[in-house]
Amino acid sequence: MTEKIDARPGADEPTDLPPPIISPDSVPDSMWRIRWALFRRSFAHNWKLFRANRVGLVGLAIIGFFALLAIAPTVLFATGIWNSAVYDPVVGLEPNPPVKAMTVVNEITDPETQIDFRHVLLDNRIPNNIQVGEQVEIPQQPAPPDRRHWLGTDPLGRDVLSQLMHGARAAFFLGILAAVVTVIIATTVGSISAYFGGALDSFFMRLADLLIMIPFLAILIVIGAIFEFKLWHLAVVIGLLSGFGGVAIVLKSQALAVKVKPFVDAARVAGGSNAHIIFTHIVPNVMPLSFLYMMFTVTSAIQGEAALSFLGLLNVRISWGLMIQLANTQGYLLQGLRYWWLLFPAGLAVTLISAAFFLVGRAMDEVVNPRLRKR
Amino acid sequence: MNAPPLLEVDHLVMNYVTERGDVSAVEDVSFTLHQGEALGLVGESGCGKTSIAMSLLRLQAENAVFKSGEIRLNGENLLALPEDEMRRHRWKDIAMVFQGAMNAWNPVYRVGDQIREALDLHFRPRLSDAEATERISRLFEMVGLNPAMANRYPHEFSGGMRQRAVIAMALSCDPSIIIADEPTTALDVIVQDQILQELKKIQRELGMAIIYISHDIAVIAEVTDTIGIMYAGKLVELGPTVEVFARPKHPYAFLLLSSTPSVTGPRRKLAPLEGEPPNLLNPPTGCRFHPRCPFATERCSIEEPPMETIADGHRVACWNWREVPVSIVQEARP
Amino acid sequence: MTRYVVRRLAQMVLLFVVFLTVTWFLLYALPGDIVKQKFAMNPNIPPEARQVAIERLGLDKPVLIQFRDYMINFFQLDFGLSFNQYPRKVSDIIAERLPRTIVLFLTALVSYYYAGFLAGKYLAWRRGKRGEMAVTIGGVGLYTVFYPWFALMAIWLFASELGWLPISKFLNPDEWRNAPFAANQVFIRLFVTVLAVSIFMALVVLLANRIRDHRSRAFAKVGGVALGALLFVWYWWGTAGGALMRPYAGDIAEHLILPVAVLTAVNFAGIMLLTRSSMLETMREDFILTARAKGLSERAVRDKHAARTALLPVTTSLVLAVATVIDGGILTETVFSWPGMGEVLVTSVSNEDIPLALASFSFIGVMALVGHFLVDILYGVLDPRIRVGG
Repeated sequence: MTEKIDARPGADEPTDLPPPIISPDSVPDSMWRIRWALFRRSFAHNWKLFRANRVGLVGLAIIGFFALLAIAPTVLFATGIWNSAVYDPVVGLEPNPPVKAMTVVNEITDPETQIDFRHVLLDNRIPNNIQVGEQVEIPQQPAPPDRRHWLGTDPLGRDVLSQLMHGARAAFFLGILAAVVTVIIATTVGSISAYFGGALDSFFMRLADLLIMIPFLAILIVIGAIFEFKLWHLAVVIGLLSGFGGVAIVLKSQALAVKVKPFVDAARVAGGSNAHIIFTHIVPNVMPLSFLYMMFTVTSAIQGEAALSFLGLLNVRISWGLMIQLANTQGYLLQGLRYWWLLFPAGLAVTLISAAFFLVGRAMDEVVNPRLRKR
Repeated sequence: MNAPPLLEVDHLVMNYVTERGDVSAVEDVSFTLHQGEALGLVGESGCGKTSIAMSLLRLQAENAVFKSGEIRLNGENLLALPEDEMRRHRWKDIAMVFQGAMNAWNPVYRVGDQIREALDLHFRPRLSDAEATERISRLFEMVGLNPAMANRYPHEFSGGMRQRAVIAMALSCDPSIIIADEPTTALDVIVQDQILQELKKIQRELGMAIIYISHDIAVIAEVTDTIGIMYAGKLVELGPTVEVFARPKHPYAFLLLSSTPSVTGPRRKLAPLEGEPPNLLNPPTGCRFHPRCPFATERCSIEEPPMETIADGHRVACWNWREVPVSIVQEARP
Repeated sequence: MTRYVVRRLAQMVLLFVVFLTVTWFLLYALPGDIVKQKFAMNPNIPPEARQVAIERLGLDKPVLIQFRDYMINFFQLDFGLSFNQYPRKVSDIIAERLPRTIVLFLTALVSYYYAGFLAGKYLAWRRGKRGEMAVTIGGVGLYTVFYPWFALMAIWLFASELGWLPISKFLNPDEWRNAPFAANQVFIRLFVTVLAVSIFMALVVLLANRIRDHRSRAFAKVGGVALGALLFVWYWWGTAGGALMRPYAGDIAEHLILPVAVLTAVNFAGIMLLTRSSMLETMREDFILTARAKGLSERAVRDKHAARTALLPVTTSLVLAVATVIDGGILTETVFSWPGMGEVLVTSVSNEDIPLALASFSFIGVMALVGHFLVDILYGVLDPRIRVGG
């Protein structure tokens, strides 16, 4: 059967609805099977829409790449390719760093870069009583990339690539936890506000107004001062701030749109309790939009953590922000390209992964919000 | 009508260029419009009537291409004009009342100011503030609106009021032709009637020519002198409204008019149209209507019928127009 | 309109009070002994003075009394004494730093908003949906770039390598050694200039748009700009204070360039993307077709109808942008060692200087609320639908 093409200009775009269930025989019997079948069908349909916009695919590809990075250490350590004494991102130490012969001009600083070598002198490999004018072989820390350390080592002799991978783990963990918290809170707040209205609604909306007005980073800085943040604390806090903030407002208007649909009235007439209506009808229809905002929350979370680490206000084992902070406080960053492996990978990683989630979010926006689709 | 025609559409051919190929939207359409004449263009969605309307103002879509034909306004071919000259004709000579015209208003400017914008563009020497205000007031009165509303914003008008205001704006520069594209579609029935009567009255008073575009035959029948029926990009029948309604000679027109049950007239058998309009990417060979036509013969699938004149002012594009019976249809009100 | 303004103002004040309450309780009412420990550790304070200090700071009173006193004092602009810079008044520190931040902040905001809007407008009009992928990815990449990293690279490139611009801080101490006045006076003059220029330009545009006649309107705009330029020249060359301060102001301005440029580059992408999609949506509206049908030129349709209406969602985003620019400002000040409000927030928090931290956070909150309020007003001016009831 040939496909019927509607030749009016602009009419040849995919329609809103997923293809219908074909025949009564193919309808499964139990409620959950039905739900699952519908879910799979609409997922396939939405995936097609998502794919149409290549921007989202680029984002997914980048995320996939970082996911690989995050998994890599487990594999590498487990298979013994990496010895954790050397490659651990926090306590590892390269036992044989490349060495550079230098004449000691000033016993504390490296003449070329004026970098403080005190920490190196504490290393037992250097004799303590060096004199000015002597030739010494200084172990290079941070060392440039070589065969054993593809991205070199940081000022404390730790493998940068390993740090990058563990940072990816931290980023995913943080981002996803924050996003999940946001979604749970915002969906609940939005649905309840929309459904019950009145004082409850006013309260939550005023709260949200306040939260979006106050600068995000400033709040994090202050809260970080009061509590010692571990990574998951930070994730929960970010989740709370986002969940009660702008996302709640958006989800509430979506919930409002659902609430006025006839099937909600039908459910109520059929005797459904408030909780039932909210959770069985309103929430599932608000979910797609929630997932969308999850993406943006991940971006904020990762950027927020990186900024906080950079400012030295976070107590995290390892993260990309921490990598940059260390490099910065030790003065390596202003050396520009000389220590590029300290600067580029971490900064690029934060940028890329933030951008990736953002792009995926935008692409999802086009799926969820039909108005934005190409006409 | 012996005066030279105001507007002549001469064998117009227009396509839309899409990813899947060229869509033949307007195929060899010709008609004329005289001063003070009310012409109606009827057809299903996608038959090309709006495309023609847009072409008259050269507001066609970006992917539209004129393959051949001319549109002559007072003898001047509009399709050959450079853009800035065309702009001078817009609104001053031909104005348009759009489909869903209520959204024709920019929400951030006052209604009067938006009309003023048109006036400033086309009146030389420029109207003074007082003159413009007076003119706008008169226009508002003419369409049945309170002149004080001119200082309000569009969101302060109701749907029907906005429609009237749009008509006022269309009239503002004294055009000789107005195109009304589905002027009443988005309105409720009572307002529809009011607007139509209003338009008719204004048209008679000002002696303008007006082209109504609609898929609603009832609307067309009420207000037009001449009616053109379009199908799949082609003009299939054209003639005085009364005549075409009483004696439709194109099978499509015949079926269309017979498919409307008559409330007051005698009961008769309804003859519904089967099938759907063709895919304009790949129109049928020969006559575009032949796949659905009960009167079709072999010739119809091979050769496209040209428009022939079968009576005074009445033209039909069909090989078998003689086979089409006379139907009993409610007479069009004069 | 007035009702709308008054209502928003009242809401803002209320929100601020709530905000201040919550913050105060968070910072003060928590591990209360931190405060006392602070004094135990500060070597500058002799033990006897410690007790005096505690009394002066009211730290021995019950929590609620402290809170009440603080709130009363706050609105009289008395924020207490800094822990770390004891006994310097917090309000002095803030007063010193506030102009520097505002100059940076305002300049950056105006700069990137304008640039982003223009870019988005042109991109939407010229290229429409084409090149969407490149624009989106490029824009998002710039927008989500890790700010400190980007800033540090910019510093390295333009300041270290190329030597075109100063590396950090907001002035060159050598040049100021014999300056007859404090940096802040120059800052205030700069602040007045930036503020005046922004408001003036906005007024010129608003008033000129009321003039119907095209030619007169263009004339009015040009005249307005000329007048503004004259005022500017008079302020910096004509007045005695201005003339003396000019070289110093130039030094500050030179130090402003890189931070503002970096802030602009990163944030402009967000506005550009938003303007572009807003324009693309607006361009599909019916009134655009009507405008064309009336015979308006393409440029007029674009600027008068499309851009003007597309401005609305963009202005709404200004609300969020205020918060984002402040965040960016905090990072900028840290990276560029620009001693302003953001930098003091970070350092006071790191050093647990609670009164200073509280005050600087509050001020940042105030700036955010004021910004938000002004944007709401602006939105009311731009969109007549909001003013009704609303």
